[in-house]
Amino acid sequence: MNPRTVSPPRRPRIRVDAASAGLRLAIVIAAVVAAFPLVWMVLSSFKTPAESMQVPPVWLPGTPTLDAYGEVADVINAGRSFWNSAVIATVTTAGILITSLMAGYAFAKYRFRGRDALFALLIATMFLPPIVTLIPLYRLVTAIGLNASLFGVIVPHLANAFGIFLMRQFIAGVPDDLIDAARVDGASELRIVFSVVAPSVVPALAALTLFAFVYHWNTYLWPLTVLQGNSDDYPIVISLSRLLSYNRGAMNTHLVMAGATLAVLPPLVMFVLLQRFFVDSIVSSGVKG
Amino acid sequence: MSRTANGPIGLMLAPAVGLIGVFIVIPMALTVWLSFHDWSTQTGFATARFVGLRNYHDIFGPISVGRDFKRAFSNTALYTALSVAIILPLSVLLGLLVYQRRVAGGNVLRTILFSTYMVPMIAVALVWSKLYSPNEGPINQMLGWIGFSPQPWLSSPDTALLSIVFLNVWQQVGYFTVLVIAGLTQIPTALYEAARIDGANRMQEFFGITLPLLKRTLLFSAVIAVINAVQVFEPVALITQGGPAGSTNVLTYHIRRVGIERAQGGLGSAMAVMLMLALIVVIVVLFAFARRRDEE
Repeated sequence: MNPRTVSPPRRPRIRVDAASAGLRLAIVIAAVVAAFPLVWMVLSSFKTPAESMQVPPVWLPGTPTLDAYGEVADVINAGRSFWNSAVIATVTTAGILITSLMAGYAFAKYRFRGRDALFALLIATMFLPPIVTLIPLYRLVTAIGLNASLFGVIVPHLANAFGIFLMRQFIAGVPDDLIDAARVDGASELRIVFSVVAPSVVPALAALTLFAFVYHWNTYLWPLTVLQGNSDDYPIVISLSRLLSYNRGAMNTHLVMAGATLAVLPPLVMFVLLQRFFVDSIVSSGVKG
Repeated sequence: MSRTANGPIGLMLAPAVGLIGVFIVIPMALTVWLSFHDWSTQTGFATARFVGLRNYHDIFGPISVGRDFKRAFSNTALYTALSVAIILPLSVLLGLLVYQRRVAGGNVLRTILFSTYMVPMIAVALVWSKLYSPNEGPINQMLGWIGFSPQPWLSSPDTALLSIVFLNVWQQVGYFTVLVIAGLTQIPTALYEAARIDGANRMQEFFGITLPLLKRTLLFSAVIAVINAVQVFEPVALITQGGPAGSTNVLTYHIRRVGIERAQGGLGSAMAVMLMLALIVVIVVLFAFARRRDEE
């Protein structure tokens, strides 16, 4: 044993215990602070209107009730909005998975002129805040007749650079022999992408599914802009925003909280189901670069 | 690299490249082009009338167009700086809490932190607008318990922007924490063992090993945090509408108001170009800063 690692016997023990207690306290504080707004949201959704406006605020609902959830459904046509959000998020995610698999495969496994330049150009679009292209995009989508419809919300987002990047990273690791063997068997390239490559990159596809679904369930700016007040096609996030002005802003806290709780559920469920892949994909592709 | 040098390249790339080209690259080029034109967003691109640099002159000018833009620009810069300055150190701290193996609970903390990142910003804005409520909200109530006076939060020009920074940090920090954890896993444990043998204490370990080796992660985090921060929209659109007294009028909100709601497409595009240029400058500076620190 190296003599320098030997330290006075008693001091470290006390230190370790104090440090452990400190760490435990820090973890608890961080977890409580992080969870508090969501816990408050759910608790408040069970309050009565009067209770939710009480001063000073009461933390636990005295007589928990689900009335707010029923009322939300009347105020904002929650069912329709949920359906719209589900269509937007699901169709967009499916599109992103398909386009990213195909392009990711081409960038990972084909050699062609201008490949790296094209890839760099695509990656650059990943860093573009949507507001920078919002004005002409709005006009463009209007010009081709997709405005004020779910098509207008979905079509511009059926491909994205992040998906291509993620797929390229993972498909590069798929053995060439596997692909060549499929070619020898006479499989077309499209068939290879979807029945040979895709099954080999399931964790990356799961991560991309989560990223894409959550992003497009949550996104607000583009649907708000392109739907132009066509409230039949509003996703839940836009319908939700109308709750804040309901009843002229008074006595609506329980409704706001119930609506928010409903809107949060699908992305959270998706997260719980797929979080393992999510973290793995960030670890293996996010920063190694 | 595959020995099969190519295949139906066009077929594979067409969907993704076509969509990104039509819906991102062309609009980006149009934004630049429109910024030199007088154009109503309600009409076709063909009606745009070339005006040279007039839009740029106007948005930096002394009349209300210029005053509002400059205010939105400085609000966004302040908002971005505050967000990054809080998120980065906090993500390192939380990352270390999750990553350490001495006490249990790290993974639970990671799950809680990351789940806030899943919450739609519109729900975050709704919930926090009620948390911040001066009378019925629990934040002022808790401040009262520890002896602080109630704060006006979103309703005062002095605190509104900072209030939005806080809710943004709450929503985003989990993502950056996971980035930090990813960075921490790449640091060889042998380095810490060697440092311990040399008698380094925790502080020396952190500043001598952890922080320098997290630099690439933190650079990446900073770039993403900046790009995320300039996109702040929902809390402003929903709660403050840019107020009180213009204190939360940020660029994404302002550009949309000018370019879409008021249909002043040329002016809005010039503002969007300035935002883009500012972002490029910030990112270049961040990279230069990281490289200079490398050389030291």
